[in-house]
Amino acid sequence: MRSVERSSPLARRNPSIKLGVLFLVSLVVMFVLDPVTPAVLYLLALVGVVLSSGAPVRTLALAHVPFLAFAAGVLVVNALSRPGAVLWQSGPLRVTEEGLSVGAALAFRTLLVGVLAVGFLLSTDGVALMTSLHHNAGLGARPTYAILAGYRMLQEMPREWSLIRAAHAVRGDRRKDGRPPGGPRHLGGVVFTLLVVSIRKGERVAQALESRGLGLEPRSTWRPVRVSTADWVFVAGVVLVVGVVLAASAQLGLLRGPGALFG
Amino acid sequence: MGRAAAPARGVEAAAAGAGSVVELTDLTVRFPRREQEALRDVSLQIAAGEQVVVLGASGSGKSTILHAVTGVVPHTVAAAVAGQVTVAGSATGETSVVERSRHLGVLAQDPSAAVCLPVVEQEIALPLENRGTDPAHIGGRIASALDSVGATGLRDLPTAHLSGGECQRVALAAALVAEPEVLLLDEPTSMLDPEGVAAVRDAVRSAVTRYRPAVILVEHRLDEWAGAEGVAGLPERVVVLVDGQVVADGPTSLVLQDQAAALRAAGCWLPLDAELGSLTGAQGGLASPANRALLHTLGRPTGTRSRPATGRPLLEASGLAVGRAPAPGRGGRRVDRRSAALLSGVDLTLREGEVVAVLGANGVGKSTLLLTLAGLLTPVAGRVLGDRPGLVFQNAEHQFLASTVEGEIAHGLTSDVTDARVLEQLRRHRLEHLVGQNPFRLSGGEQRRLSLAAMLAHPRPVLLTDEPTLGLDRRDAIATARTLRETADGGGAVLLVSHDLRLVAGLADRVVVLGDGAVLADGPTERVLADPVVLARASLTLPPLVSWLVANLPGRVAHVLQGLDATVTGRADGVA
Repeated sequence: MRSVERSSPLARRNPSIKLGVLFLVSLVVMFVLDPVTPAVLYLLALVGVVLSSGAPVRTLALAHVPFLAFAAGVLVVNALSRPGAVLWQSGPLRVTEEGLSVGAALAFRTLLVGVLAVGFLLSTDGVALMTSLHHNAGLGARPTYAILAGYRMLQEMPREWSLIRAAHAVRGDRRKDGRPPGGPRHLGGVVFTLLVVSIRKGERVAQALESRGLGLEPRSTWRPVRVSTADWVFVAGVVLVVGVVLAASAQLGLLRGPGALFG
Repeated sequence: MGRAAAPARGVEAAAAGAGSVVELTDLTVRFPRREQEALRDVSLQIAAGEQVVVLGASGSGKSTILHAVTGVVPHTVAAAVAGQVTVAGSATGETSVVERSRHLGVLAQDPSAAVCLPVVEQEIALPLENRGTDPAHIGGRIASALDSVGATGLRDLPTAHLSGGECQRVALAAALVAEPEVLLLDEPTSMLDPEGVAAVRDAVRSAVTRYRPAVILVEHRLDEWAGAEGVAGLPERVVVLVDGQVVADGPTSLVLQDQAAALRAAGCWLPLDAELGSLTGAQGGLASPANRALLHTLGRPTGTRSRPATGRPLLEASGLAVGRAPAPGRGGRRVDRRSAALLSGVDLTLREGEVVAVLGANGVGKSTLLLTLAGLLTPVAGRVLGDRPGLVFQNAEHQFLASTVEGEIAHGLTSDVTDARVLEQLRRHRLEHLVGQNPFRLSGGEQRRLSLAAMLAHPRPVLLTDEPTLGLDRRDAIATARTLRETADGGGAVLLVSHDLRLVAGLADRVVVLGDGAVLADGPTERVLADPVVLARASLTLPPLVSWLVANLPGRVAHVLQGLDATVTGRADGVA
């Protein structure tokens, strides 16, 4: 299982607050379509995540790969397909100024949202997130505890999987080269058994949760996850940085909204 | 309907002499697609603070009683129910399972399903939060619940790291933390090793002494549950079920005296004292001269067949080291040799005609050894020679491949032999009446028989089996032991892993004891079981009967145990 660096400044922030900030920033940059503003925001976010998440640079670099690939795709498609002032042409391929600009804006937006999501995931424990969503974001007790119980069943699944695979392998005939069976039929059987065994276990877990009174009202909450002053400072800090970057960009005449798409 | 107005707290009700906290009135339960009723006209009153143990063979309706009390039958599991179940003054019909949970604490069989949340203290806080307990008190109550089950040290652990016994103790703490009036224990030890049984038993006892809830216990392993006190260590009242009907209900020592013979014949496990008493009429277990005389009589040499000392070697392991390396993968995936070996230097030969038992504490590497011998794990070092063995897993469900019992046995057989083999296995394992059923729908005992039948349908010289009798009633356990013996006598060899030392002493020709990452002893069963140093190093404790036999009837231990088993099945081949 992925381990979470629990002591970093970002890891100590309330998970619901982090999720909210991630959502807010993503929403704001949806309306920014010049390349420079999201690029600056991306660089600032990258520095912030590197400094505050405690995650190794190598991990962050690896986590960037899918976002980089997607960003490159977005850039190329826009550069080649948007109408506008032609910068370069060769046969049917032509690159326009507008295309390059919008493409770069979208690519940096992808990277920005990507780095924030990576920072969130690397600094947030799944259990803490569910608990926080329950306490701070009004997620009901039943879905919360159902997901937590499901998470625990998931933890056990790799062990069950290898047990069932072995249990089936010993039943089947060896293949001609003497190795145990491993084809799609074998795996299909293993998946089916795992499914049946898991469903039955799920029923038992559900009964156990009900027998502990999950669903009774009114509930109380032990050790509620609190939103601390530091969490609000974190929100204010992020809002301030984004605001300053947007204002500076507007001041310099660089900031462009959705109009860039049609202009 | 005056009961509806009874006070909610059972303690007050009992103090006022008003009656019971759990009341079953003429309860009849029938599950869909079953001919027989699971329960028939069952009436029971259980007072606050009263302790009851429910006895009966597999399928006698023990678990159904508990499910009727929780309301799972009929609210969650569909069933036709007649009669009335009342808990703390409210009838099942008007009370949902969740609402009823206010009065109940439940501990079920499967330890891994009993603990649902990622961290131990969350698990125990949940019932209190659900009941709206003042958060200021929750921390302290978690501490005292964990303390009462002897699990204080587990509080901050992730539940994924707990052993089976630890899981059950945590689940018990969660069942007790809200101090419900009624505690329901459904074979809470059936999946645990002896150490786990003792831990859970002691935890229940100390909790019961602390605040005196009413307890309904369903349990197979009565001697282990009773511990050193014998019958006195069991709940004071016993209810005996046969085919869904209550045939006896009263003080434990009296009912056991009256009913022991019938229960033994029905294939139900009994405490040793009651088992011996049912044969001689004498009380006092191993201390009674009459019972001792019986064991001596059973041990008298009769015309038993002698076994050939050594047959042809069928499976040979030399210099074997085993560990959790990945299975030999497709495409010749490289095996990670760095993974630590659990056991090393294992030299083991299985010969024709032998039943060999592997003993050792939990986690010593017994199952890993079986998987390696079966060719499912690559040895970390050394090698295994011999034809491919069959392996029957502990959880029979893991091995099912077909949608019918018949198809399950026929799986992998060539068409020219299928019909004859399937019929033979169906007959041998008493599965004929289940031919068209889905394997996953069978009872635990039936599933065990089927997985053994499906493996034995293939002519493999060596059979490996992991805890073949765990959770079975006595009749099924004896039948399984007999099948294993017949497999060896028919020219095969059997290697079994088991914690049940009575089974091992009665069945195995040879015992291999594992401990400290190696083989501690390998020799004839009696000789090894008589060696206190080996037993101590492997943390094995002999049950009192086996211990007495080893000391008093050397050379006849297996013979006596088989004689006792024969009194259940009526086969007189061991009785003088």
